[in-house]
Amino acid sequence: MAPRTVAPFGPQHPVFPEPIQLKITYEDEKVVNVVPAIGYGHRGIEKACELNEYQKNIYLCERICGICSCIHGISYCEVVERLWPIDVPPRAKYLRTIWSEMSRTHSHLLWLGLMADAFGFESMFMQFWRIREKVLDLLEMTTGQRVTHSVSVIGGVRRDIDDEQKKKCIKVLMEVRKESEALINVFINDYTVKARTVGKGVLTKEQAIALGCTGPHLRASGVKEDCRMQGLQAYGDLGFEPIVEKDGDSYARSVVRCRELLQAIDLQLEAFSKMPEGEIAVRPKGNPPANEAFYRAEQPRGEVVYYAKGNGTRNLERLHVRTPTYANIPSLLVMLPGCELPDVPVIIHSLDPCISCTER
Amino acid sequence: MPLMLPTVIRNFFGGYATRLYPFRDVREPFVRARGHIEFDEKKCILCGNCARRCPAAAIEINKEKNELIFNAAHCIICEVCAEVCNKDAISVEPKWRAPFYSKPVEVYHPKGKEKAS
Repeated sequence: MAPRTVAPFGPQHPVFPEPIQLKITYEDEKVVNVVPAIGYGHRGIEKACELNEYQKNIYLCERICGICSCIHGISYCEVVERLWPIDVPPRAKYLRTIWSEMSRTHSHLLWLGLMADAFGFESMFMQFWRIREKVLDLLEMTTGQRVTHSVSVIGGVRRDIDDEQKKKCIKVLMEVRKESEALINVFINDYTVKARTVGKGVLTKEQAIALGCTGPHLRASGVKEDCRMQGLQAYGDLGFEPIVEKDGDSYARSVVRCRELLQAIDLQLEAFSKMPEGEIAVRPKGNPPANEAFYRAEQPRGEVVYYAKGNGTRNLERLHVRTPTYANIPSLLVMLPGCELPDVPVIIHSLDPCISCTER
Repeated sequence: MPLMLPTVIRNFFGGYATRLYPFRDVREPFVRARGHIEFDEKKCILCGNCARRCPAAAIEINKEKNELIFNAAHCIICEVCAEVCNKDAISVEPKWRAPFYSKPVEVYHPKGKEKAS
């Protein structure tokens, strides 16, 4: 038996955009054991949300994560609206759906680029990020900012999309779809990409369920589970159907995200065509009542759960956020043992880890 | 890799994806982009609505000294202050602030209050 070595992988490592440490035990170049260590990016946001007034928390919750900021803000508003409860106007629901899907589009494009970078395909990384810029421009045009959009408020949204912007969005989204399709063809069919992803980091359906995985990570293992299936916001009208793959390896996770990227663009185009006219916000009356509420939303990385408890004052008594990457990290303990050292970054990236979400 | 070749070859003839700054100008900001906020001293009555609602605590009101202190480095340009201002004294401009070396603190002495009294 070869001697065993324990080597730290992170928290500062070229493949990680954010700090997480994996203590990996190797036997020669083969991984035999993994111990993840988190806590390098903790900011105490949940506690800060209890100290802030409830309207101010929207901007704080958006800063839990830079990539899924839009859905964090919307989810916070949704959970607080459930305390009264407040009925959001239909147009606001559509606008929230459009911005959620737009943020999913740019998040998946970002991930596809990072994944290409993880296995050394620099040219594809640049191409994906070039397309992503167009989506970020759309977000800036419609919401006012590229990353922290601050469009959702309690009772609706703050900005409307007029006809001129709608036409431009549809035109750009069609371009993005066409350009993405060409690159996705490479991602799915290229020999070099397949050599690095097929059969790497396999997670079976039973393991995925037992470990409590969520999102594209779970769907790539053959489980049909997506929070958008609840039909909340405008998803009920849009005929949403989750994308599922069976193999459970890094390749299947890539394929799920590639297909979800195209599906997100289609959902936006459909939402634009069906968007009703009308009000975009209603004013909440008074402070959140003493009540509890719970909300599940599908982020690009999986299920995010918001729990809020009001006490009749301007502050919430408790706000809890359960983020998708925290649920997905335990699956590394199953996926990594047995793989070779060069596959470790690819497998970790196939999870789409978002550490700032995880640690809040 | 071979499947990527058409995209790579197209890029040779497709022009630049980025702007050739400083030889070409940067893109104009979008009309409704949130770049920075501006105060109108003539309209402000120091009511303090903006300071109370600011999530980043970037605005401070000192009624005794007739001062509105704006800490631009704390501002997250969420537009809440402009929304809650009853006198339209705060506007959101689409252009970004230039980068700074030290944190700018702007002090305003509103004249609207004197007019009101």
